Amino acid sequence: MLRHLRLIPHLVALFVRTKMEYRGAFWLDRVAQIFSYGFMMASIWLLLERFGVLGTWTWPEMALLFGFQLLVYALGASVSFVQMREMEDTIRLGRLDTLLTKPMSPWVFIVFSAFNIEYLGHVLLAVPVLVWALLHVDIAWDAGTVLFFVAAMLSSAMGAAAIITMIGATALVWVQSNHLFAIYFSFWELARLPLDIFPGAIQWLLIAVIPLGYMAAVPVAVLLGKPVPILGDLAGPVTLLSGPLLVLLAMAVWRWAMTRYQGAGG
Amino acid sequence: MRTYLAFVRSGFLESFAYRNVVWANILGKLVQVFARVAIWLAAYAGINAITVDGISLQQMVTYALLGGLLLGATRYDRLIRPLAQTLRTGDVAVWLLKPLHYPLYMMAIEAGKTFYTLLFAVIPTILVGALVYGLTPPVSLFHGAMVLPYWALGFTIHFLCSALFGLCAFWLMTAFSLEWLLQSFITLFSGLWVPFWFFPEPWATWSLYQPLAWLAYYPSAVWLGQLSVAETWQFLLLGCLWVGLLSLAVAALWSRATLRLSVQGG
Repeated sequence: MLRHLRLIPHLVALFVRTKMEYRGAFWLDRVAQIFSYGFMMASIWLLLERFGVLGTWTWPEMALLFGFQLLVYALGASVSFVQMREMEDTIRLGRLDTLLTKPMSPWVFIVFSAFNIEYLGHVLLAVPVLVWALLHVDIAWDAGTVLFFVAAMLSSAMGAAAIITMIGATALVWVQSNHLFAIYFSFWELARLPLDIFPGAIQWLLIAVIPLGYMAAVPVAVLLGKPVPILGDLAGPVTLLSGPLLVLLAMAVWRWAMTRYQGAGG
Repeated sequence: MRTYLAFVRSGFLESFAYRNVVWANILGKLVQVFARVAIWLAAYAGINAITVDGISLQQMVTYALLGGLLLGATRYDRLIRPLAQTLRTGDVAVWLLKPLHYPLYMMAIEAGKTFYTLLFAVIPTILVGALVYGLTPPVSLFHGAMVLPYWALGFTIHFLCSALFGLCAFWLMTAFSLEWLLQSFITLFSGLWVPFWFFPEPWATWSLYQPLAWLAYYPSAVWLGQLSVAETWQFLLLGCLWVGLLSLAVAALWSRATLRLSVQGG
């Protein structure tokens, strides 16, 4: 185990070095990402500029939700998304078979040999948005709130990585998983919107079936003291537990899928 | 012409091979449609209004349902990535030897795929959305009929913009940032999320004349009767002018890219 942990910084360093070989393209990509999310945020701003509120949510509250979701997703996806999206090809081209012969955990190698620093663009946009929003929303800060904010962020990032890992793991059994990623990203779009604007069925889906509600909508609503549908007063503790529980579930799914893996040839 | 029609058919039939993708698409589109409608329901509910700036809630629901028709069916990444890859790897040389025009071939294939997604994913989800939320009928037979040429214009402009961005990858050596940049422009300037009548001035007026407005804003605005008969013809003509201009730009870039390629090849 310790041997694996010692390898992680080396794997990450190698990947970073390969990415930095094309510095111009790397930074251009980050600028494009900032534009893309910035324009999405601008759409929400335009809407709130005209209407004032979305349900009960004001612009600074929506900005907090947006910044929280973007940062949490970036943290979680940096150790999961691109790596798991590539699982189909890794399996189909037989690269996983090669990995299985290495004297280390295939998950550690897959995740950290492609630790995705390309989420830097998300972070560069999310952090100032988050700081600005926190300065403009009405939160009664005390030690408990600060602790909740940090813990919720960690839990949400863990949950984001866990869900993506579970989707990627299905490729070990069915060889395909990208159609599930398409579904994931449809729901992911909803994760940056308040839960209480959706019909009950979608609220249930986001809380109990595809738990993307815990990525931002639930923790931010708890932080702002807004009522959380379905969960009510349990929203705070459930959001803190959701990340670690999803990670445990993802570990179990990954291990189970590994035992079912037969290669792309069947 | 018959050759390209055969490619349209080929693009349509090729999509049949990926049935999982169809189901993922239907579910994804349903979620997106419900999300867009939920946003407008919440915005109108937030200010307790039935009509804002002369636009009723039912009209906005119709806008949200129809606005995604074209952008839900065609995809810029399906064009930018392969075009950039073909140019960068030099595979384009093979296409240059064939008695066809490669960008037109790509357009034909994309038309087939778009038609497939429209038929099996987008239209069914809009029908479900219409059954749940209701759909305002077109304001007149003329406006209803004119939506079709507007959608055709929208598809062509979408293809030309994607091709333009894809061709730029030949010089920038990265398709990733170009995809994200186009995505960001489409998010804000197609009117998909927020129609231009809710934009502040002068942005509202400027947005009416840029090419991305034909992707989502104009087809829905025409359906809802927001354009008079004369304006409907005027903006159809303006859309055609944009198609002409963008075609010239694509042709010029294509010619420069292929010329440069022949220099590299010796």
